[in-house]
Amino acid sequence: MDILIQNIITGTATGMVYALIALGFALIWKSSRVANLALGQLVLISSWFAYSMLVQFKFPFWLGMLLTIAFAILLGWLIERLALRPLIGQPILSLIAITLGLAYFLEGLTAFIWPQGQGNLPKVFPQTSFQIGPAMIQQELLWAAVISLILFILLSVFFKYHRMGIAMRATADDQLAVQACAVPVNRVFSMSWIFACVVAAIGGVLISSIAAINYGLVETGFKSFSVVILGGMESFLGCIVAGPIIGLCETFGGSQFGSSVKELIPFIIIVIVIMIKPFGLFGEERIERI
Amino acid sequence: MSLPCGIRNFSYHTDIAIIRTKTQWVLFILFMLALSVLPFYLPRSWFDTVNSIGILLIAVVGLNILMGYCGQLSLGHAGFMAIGAFTSALLTGNLHVPFLLALIISGLSAGLIGLIFGIPSLRVKGFYLAIATIAAQFIIIWILQNWTDITHGSNGLDVLPASIFNWQFDSEIKQFYLIFTFTIISVLFATNLARSRIGRAFIAIRDNDLAAEVMGINVFRYKLLAFFLGCFLAGIAGSLYAQYRGHISYEDFTFQQSILYIGMLIIGGLGSSLGPILGTVIIETLQKSLTNTIAPWLEHTMTFMPTGFSSGLNLMLFGLAIILILIFEPRGLAHLWALFKSSYRMWPFSY
Repeated sequence: MDILIQNIITGTATGMVYALIALGFALIWKSSRVANLALGQLVLISSWFAYSMLVQFKFPFWLGMLLTIAFAILLGWLIERLALRPLIGQPILSLIAITLGLAYFLEGLTAFIWPQGQGNLPKVFPQTSFQIGPAMIQQELLWAAVISLILFILLSVFFKYHRMGIAMRATADDQLAVQACAVPVNRVFSMSWIFACVVAAIGGVLISSIAAINYGLVETGFKSFSVVILGGMESFLGCIVAGPIIGLCETFGGSQFGSSVKELIPFIIIVIVIMIKPFGLFGEERIERI
Repeated sequence: MSLPCGIRNFSYHTDIAIIRTKTQWVLFILFMLALSVLPFYLPRSWFDTVNSIGILLIAVVGLNILMGYCGQLSLGHAGFMAIGAFTSALLTGNLHVPFLLALIISGLSAGLIGLIFGIPSLRVKGFYLAIATIAAQFIIIWILQNWTDITHGSNGLDVLPASIFNWQFDSEIKQFYLIFTFTIISVLFATNLARSRIGRAFIAIRDNDLAAEVMGINVFRYKLLAFFLGCFLAGIAGSLYAQYRGHISYEDFTFQQSILYIGMLIIGGLGSSLGPILGTVIIETLQKSLTNTIAPWLEHTMTFMPTGFSSGLNLMLFGLAIILILIFEPRGLAHLWALFKSSYRMWPFSY
């Protein structure tokens, strides 16, 4: 019984962090229809940047975090401006391939600047675990889940009510019509990349303060794709529902079949979802015409 | 295809021929001669690079059929290559199947697994298919990693060099001829496929699959065929890789390798028969010289950087190359070559 509750809470909390990273994907997809395959690498590079700020330069936490977010903003702006904007209107194959090139580049850049390959952020959250009923829960996981949830709510509100958020949704719907209404489409794209990078940076710091900074972060990015696929690519709600589902499947599968199976579960879910219900739980099915 | 001026075709056969002018024939024969005497003049340290170019070229040609002609993205090509490598290693090692038979079986098995992961391509495309093939890559590698009874996990398998009718391919020179025989066969196969009925159907599907279906092309069948052919060639490449290296484990076939193949194809040029050749040769040569000469030199001179920084250099430059090619020349180096050729032919009026 206590194992069960423990698994439920751990799974949900891990899933929330996946959902946060997947949110960064959905942001870009919603506004510009670019599938960002460099998700894990964005998480990796901003975690390493936070490592530099907090461990190598020994800044206080708030300053280091602010600088990391500033770095993420700059990174997002640069990526959109230099790599994605020249490709507007190109076939989807090029758009996917350029994010692959980006993934390779960022991965090389991290290995170039931080060749040690393994780093530990200072612990942000209290380390003590506490009891809910008979189960022992790690406190930091709960903190991470709460922060993800808050970010999700903030982003949803932003998209629902803020001018820029509405412009982003409109751009996703019809770029030409929106341009005719004098919405700066370029700025919308660049904003969505900036948001995605910031979300990835926060997610990265959350995960790597719990575990460690290493190549595993890139694999976390791949696992987040299963959240995106299961939830449906257009939907924030999909991310936040599918994240915990993936997290729970992973934890329960891990405790049932051993920890090596745990790594495989998100990918099996991807295959099953794509075979059965390719547009996910909340995604909209595209009807194509010639 | 543009022709030098004054060349006319008087029959359909001359019109679709690959090699059309006398100069092209001379150049082709010279190239084949140069290739066949290459091992006698090649420095020893380059054999490894040249042979791996030959092997990779088969895989990239397969990817070109799938991605360049049929437009179906596969991010799991290294996984399919791994299937070929392990099938061939197990067949020749445990069951003592003759090499040629094992080669064909490993191609077929990689092709069949490719078919399974190609099934979603009926309903989804673009990004969804990319994710499905990423899943394929990770699932295949996971199975190879954890099915330790057969694949020995990270210890890997030892593979004997190939032998055909008691003819042992146990030296680098013999391996060169073995590998490049298959490389040339597969390049010719892909070139001929592209101008056949099947190739034209692939191109129609790539350009607009709905329109292709309306025109009466059985889209599902041709998409699966593309997956089968692409993964078949990957399996052949894997089988050759296994017997050339002599030792394989799942760690040789990472996701990064899969992206590497896509990058080679993009840099070379999608959907042309020259593209994979240019991309593979140039990228592989650059990478080898980067790791063997430039990186140690940089480590030596730039001592102010932390040690081991040059390991990222390879990835970084390669990623940059993909990005730059996509921005400035999305049709790849093959297109640049075609531009150069036509401006050379038109000279001095090359505008």
